Amino acid sequence: MGRIVFAAAMSHVLDPDYYERVCGAEGRRKTEEAMTAIAAMGERFSATRADALIVVADDHLNAFSFNCVPAMCVRIGREVERMRQDHAEAFDAVLEHMPARYPLHEQLANAILEQGTAAGFDLALSWEAPVDHAFLAPINTMHGTRAIPPLVPIWINCFVAPQPTARRCFAFGQHIARVVARSRWNVGIIATGGLSHFPELSVARIGETDSVFDARLIDWMERGEHEPLQELAADELHKTGSHEFLNWMVLLGAVSPAPAEVRYFGELPRINLAAVEWRLA
Amino acid sequence: MSRYAVNSLLYRLKKDAEFRARFGADPAGAIADLDLTTAERDAFVARDMRRINELGGYLHLVLSIPGLAVHPPRR
Repeated sequence: MGRIVFAAAMSHVLDPDYYERVCGAEGRRKTEEAMTAIAAMGERFSATRADALIVVADDHLNAFSFNCVPAMCVRIGREVERMRQDHAEAFDAVLEHMPARYPLHEQLANAILEQGTAAGFDLALSWEAPVDHAFLAPINTMHGTRAIPPLVPIWINCFVAPQPTARRCFAFGQHIARVVARSRWNVGIIATGGLSHFPELSVARIGETDSVFDARLIDWMERGEHEPLQELAADELHKTGSHEFLNWMVLLGAVSPAPAEVRYFGELPRINLAAVEWRLA
Repeated sequence: MSRYAVNSLLYRLKKDAEFRARFGADPAGAIADLDLTTAERDAFVARDMRRINELGGYLHLVLSIPGLAVHPPRR
């Protein structure tokens, strides 16, 4: 019987240069602190010798364009490529020094997809979509020079309304847990993004965060109280800049009712950086 | 407001280097055939990404188009 042996969530723009440019020396310092915490989490994950790592993240209109924006999409196939962007700006630039290709856990991805469809989750699938910083910055920060296990990238539509609900994301996470339990693999799962930043996805509001809202989320997660989190409304997530918390909701469904332990929380003018790990039974 | 037209143009500017170069040389000409409102067209010609965001352009696109990305001031 398979098990989820590691679960963590973390911010995904892990680029000290970027945050120094937009937030000054404090930006660099806190990003480096967050990355140190994430690297330590990666060491604990590697020690589990897991067979696969599920990565739940969002697309920043890179992999999917306006021909299709899937609510939830499972990347299948045997390998995935890093997104390519000429003259990359901002958060795209962090990708440039990362490996170009990553192995996938084809059987686990197919199981999540096929059993999900059978269970009523109308999941999208992709053989070709590349992955951007939302996937690769956390993965590479966690692993450093160590080998990265086969991945199962899963996209959640966090930005293009209408997004899936928090409750639906949680239910999808519960599905993932059932698939893993029926499998023969030990699996890690991470969710990326957040915490609060870019409220209302408005240029005019860049530089605002909502630390009060983040504290509420963290408190519920630390106490393993997941029902109030499932009641979060799309409008609430939009106004507080918590769009990417939908990725975290999938992870919460997969590990519920495990309590969270905060490894790092750092407030910046542009974002509240976070690294959180779950205490699994 | 034509949300699709604005965002598909932003996406093309990000991903299509040749089109981006043409836009850089002649913004009005590059988008002449597109179904945009006057306000949207004016914002693109002015390369005013903040205004394009107000008109429905997705934040992550206006922040990441090479050479055109908006860079809000440090706070």
